[in-house]
Amino acid sequence: MRPRSLLRYYGQNAVIWTFIPAFFFLIVCAFLSSILLEQYFLGLIAEAYPDADTANRDLLFAQMENVALGVLSTEDGVLQSLATDYAEFGNTIQRARGWLVILLSLSLAGFAYLKAMPQFRARESVEKVLGGLFLSSATIAILITVAIVASLLLEALRFFDVYPLWDFLTGLHWSPNIAVHADQVGFSGSFGMIPVLGGTLLITLIAMAVSVPVGLLSAIYMSEFAHPKLRNFFKPTLEILAGIPTVVYGFFAALTAAPFFRSIGLSLGLDVSSESALAAGAVMGVMIIPFISSLSDDVIRAVPRSLRDAALGLGATRSEMVIKVLLPAAFPGLVGAFLLAISRAIGETMIVVMAVGTAANLTFNPLESVTTVTVQIVGLLTGDTVFDSPKTLSAFALGIMLFVMTLGLNVAALTLSRRIAEKYE
Amino acid sequence: MEKYPNKMTVCDVSVHYGDKRALGGVSLDIPENQIIALIGASGCGKSTFLRCLNRMNDEISGCRVAGEILLDEQNIYAQNVDPVLMRARVGMVFQKPNPFPKSIFDNIAFGPRIHEITQSEAELKDIVHSALERVGMIDEVKNRLGDSAIGLSSGQQQRICIARAVAIAPEGVLMDEPCSALDPIATAKIEGLIEALAADYTIVIVTHSMQQAARISQRSAFFHLGELIEVDGTSKIFTSPNDPRTENYITGRFG
Amino acid sequence: METKISPRYTDMITRSLKRRHRKETCLRFFGLTSILFGLAFLVILLGNIANNGLSALLQTYVELEVTVPDSALLDAEGKVSEEVAFDTNWDGLVKKGLRAKFPDASGMRERRALDQLVSANAGFDFKTRILHNPELLNQPLTVWFKTSDEVDQYVKGNMNVSVDESQRRLSDQQLAWIDELAASGLLERRFNTSFFTQADSREPESAGILGAAMGSAMAILVMLVLTLPLAVMSAIYLEYFAKPGRVTDFIEVNINNLAAVPSIVFGLLGLAVFLNFFQMPRSAPLVGGMVLSLMTLPTIIIASRAAIRAVPSSIRDAALGLGASNMQAALDHVLPMAMPGVLTGTIIGVAQALGESAPLLMIGMVAFIVDVPTTVTDPATVMPVQIFIWSNSAERAFYEKASLAILFLVLFLIVMNLTAVLLRRHFERHH
Repeated sequence: MRPRSLLRYYGQNAVIWTFIPAFFFLIVCAFLSSILLEQYFLGLIAEAYPDADTANRDLLFAQMENVALGVLSTEDGVLQSLATDYAEFGNTIQRARGWLVILLSLSLAGFAYLKAMPQFRARESVEKVLGGLFLSSATIAILITVAIVASLLLEALRFFDVYPLWDFLTGLHWSPNIAVHADQVGFSGSFGMIPVLGGTLLITLIAMAVSVPVGLLSAIYMSEFAHPKLRNFFKPTLEILAGIPTVVYGFFAALTAAPFFRSIGLSLGLDVSSESALAAGAVMGVMIIPFISSLSDDVIRAVPRSLRDAALGLGATRSEMVIKVLLPAAFPGLVGAFLLAISRAIGETMIVVMAVGTAANLTFNPLESVTTVTVQIVGLLTGDTVFDSPKTLSAFALGIMLFVMTLGLNVAALTLSRRIAEKYE
Repeated sequence: MEKYPNKMTVCDVSVHYGDKRALGGVSLDIPENQIIALIGASGCGKSTFLRCLNRMNDEISGCRVAGEILLDEQNIYAQNVDPVLMRARVGMVFQKPNPFPKSIFDNIAFGPRIHEITQSEAELKDIVHSALERVGMIDEVKNRLGDSAIGLSSGQQQRICIARAVAIAPEGVLMDEPCSALDPIATAKIEGLIEALAADYTIVIVTHSMQQAARISQRSAFFHLGELIEVDGTSKIFTSPNDPRTENYITGRFG
Repeated sequence: METKISPRYTDMITRSLKRRHRKETCLRFFGLTSILFGLAFLVILLGNIANNGLSALLQTYVELEVTVPDSALLDAEGKVSEEVAFDTNWDGLVKKGLRAKFPDASGMRERRALDQLVSANAGFDFKTRILHNPELLNQPLTVWFKTSDEVDQYVKGNMNVSVDESQRRLSDQQLAWIDELAASGLLERRFNTSFFTQADSREPESAGILGAAMGSAMAILVMLVLTLPLAVMSAIYLEYFAKPGRVTDFIEVNINNLAAVPSIVFGLLGLAVFLNFFQMPRSAPLVGGMVLSLMTLPTIIIASRAAIRAVPSSIRDAALGLGASNMQAALDHVLPMAMPGVLTGTIIGVAQALGESAPLLMIGMVAFIVDVPTTVTDPATVMPVQIFIWSNSAERAFYEKASLAILFLVLFLIVMNLTAVLLRRHFERHH
């Protein structure tokens, strides 16, 4: 009998059966066994050290692990014996796991071998597995979103357990430097996000004030006025700006732009902070120029040629055509582009981390120093702090605010761009 | 046949796109207040030629026009001539109705506004009204001048486009297959309108429909592979053309 | 119908034209100015950084005469011993060489000031060198030692010496010594090899980018291994198998939205999930790569989908027409043709990931690490974060190092992006 599928599919089928289930089994096992092992030994530790609290038990567990690995030595006999047990248990489990995986993989290989009869539709079987694999990779995007929301929300909720949500949203005072231990004096951390949000908005506003006019005018010039040769030079050159890492902009903002603005301010008799919102915002604006210009360029080019012809055919000059026809027709798309740019400015981290301070001032004076949501997140999470303190948890509360704001802007921008696509189809 | 004075005279015009020649050595008289139809197979250069007549080809990069086109004895390709003015003097209506995504009123007022023909709102309203009257639409739309022109039927849209062109009182109107996107009833209306407009305007119309050319034009010019083959009275072209290629096209052997 | 001839407006239009053309010139001018503003910024940015950074390619060395006694390296049996070498005061040997040049320097303070002229790592470097060349023992050697970063900066003219002595890092006495050394030809600027062969250091003159470059390479490798198959598979699914409907729509919205989520949010995700929940190691390129792959996945999916969509549908139809299954058509016929586009998208994604630092700060890749990482679980940092660390340091010399690192990073990224552009043009022409 002739096989029902090409021979290679029988081979692929065997490979799939041999390796894929075993691989997933291995992952699940590794995960489960480490959790079970940890729980079991935490139990043993609790028995051996009855007066240790949770944090201490965790510490002891970590010590025991290190002793077992041979990185650490200990005088404590109990811990030493626990560590020996732990190492032994670990080895046994690992060995058992290895054998199980080999057994599983061999038996499934045998199964696939037995199934490889001419009447078996190997191709369909392989394709079904591949199809499933493709579908699951496509759902990863959803999984990531869910993971972002869940992880941010879980940590943020723990923060709102100790600090009221309403105070967080409406408080006018932000000073997260609280005592780590409750018995220290000055447990007075205050987490009102308004000044932080205000700083973010101020810097975003400055950035947009730079990037919107410059980006839009560049796009108009490139799409409507520039000679094609000139355009072919300008466009990629301007896009180099978009390819420069943000840390480089931060470096420039902190070490060149800020002192520059400060010295200009001094010569005008103004007191410009050396961490002024103006310097960070202006440099961020330059960073966003290529983003706005290339998005606007796309939107403007999407306006049908026939509308340009109509205006020019009536004797409009090019600028009249641009201002009276193109821009109004492209307006929703342009707004979408600007929203995306705002979302970018709000989420931009390195420039502000390097060029503005951490002190939260509620001010709209661009010459003063402000702080932003992203600066706070970095500041709160990169120091040497206990993870579970309200201070670090508050970073996640800020994180979820950041996510919600950018999500709203992105969705609005997407809706607008979809609408304009429908309009001209 | 009556003899009309020439509104435009085309002398030896050729057009290149980059290195490619699209049109070569066309010479043609366009008489005043008449309808001249440009016919020929698609890609024969008739639309390219039409776009030369008000310098719309300037807007296509890489397009070069050589030769002379006189409008009232003045070469429109001369150095000191402003193409913007040329386009105001010779209007254009396109193949696909292309009203702006604005209200009906704003569409028609677009030309008068940019050319600053009037400062007073009342006068502007008069101009819009008479343009709409001109295209016979005033009764259809006078109560909804504020509605978007996009919501109209395509026949109405095309008439709005014609009204928009005549609102600035051009001397000539160029039409690039104005009915090709329309149904027969709308086509009939537009054809009637074009014939009526010929009393005041010199009209050059590109059409792929020989019947249409026969119905409305006094003169016809036949283009073939980037060259003007023959131009004569429409009835002459359609009954006893001089050139065998014209005859082949008319009788449907190609095109 | 009575026809009314409208008045012809030619004169009025002619009159308005001059002003209207002036407006046109205005718009043109502003448009061109905007573009030139962007370009000028680019030139200033890169020029400024090149101006500050290129000098870091050279490092000032001082020539000293040193004699290393046998006892510094050899044990009782006369064999080379690392232990003996470890106990030897190599710094002392170097300092002795320096003091020999300035016998007048006396007293603790003055001697210490003198010692500060050579790099704090000079002894260590010297030890390594002698260990590898024991034949140099017991003879007078003329050795070029790295000077300290302050001397280096002064020699390069990066130090403002006009301010009061207390305001600068070198005293008048030290400046006098340096000038004397320079006058007698004992100072020389040489190519700074260690910048390319070492990892970070507390001493600017010993700090290098190899550690960060390796960290970057590892993180990118992890990212590619994770992202590329996932992105290609989901792109194929979305283009070929997904049925239009709510689920597909939802996936699409998700991908588009993820592409615009601030990168730091991915860092928070990595911190909460990879580090805190799965207890993965901090500062490891493995975790860094995982975070970067979450971040670049949407970019590469979007690019791969565009590449697959650009393959003419006739290819697929032909394959289906010959009896291939949907899967065969996609994998055997369409995917190979879409590969160049996928590659271009991947290069852009890699360039984006290579310049990213914010999410990596969240997972501890901002630590001070002196060893070049050898595995993906070793603590490491990456190029942009190394730049961040250096630019936060007080020493002027680190500023110079950061500038040079930026130059290399930006150059590399520009080359990558150019490759992507050229690749795209090449394949567009061939399709």
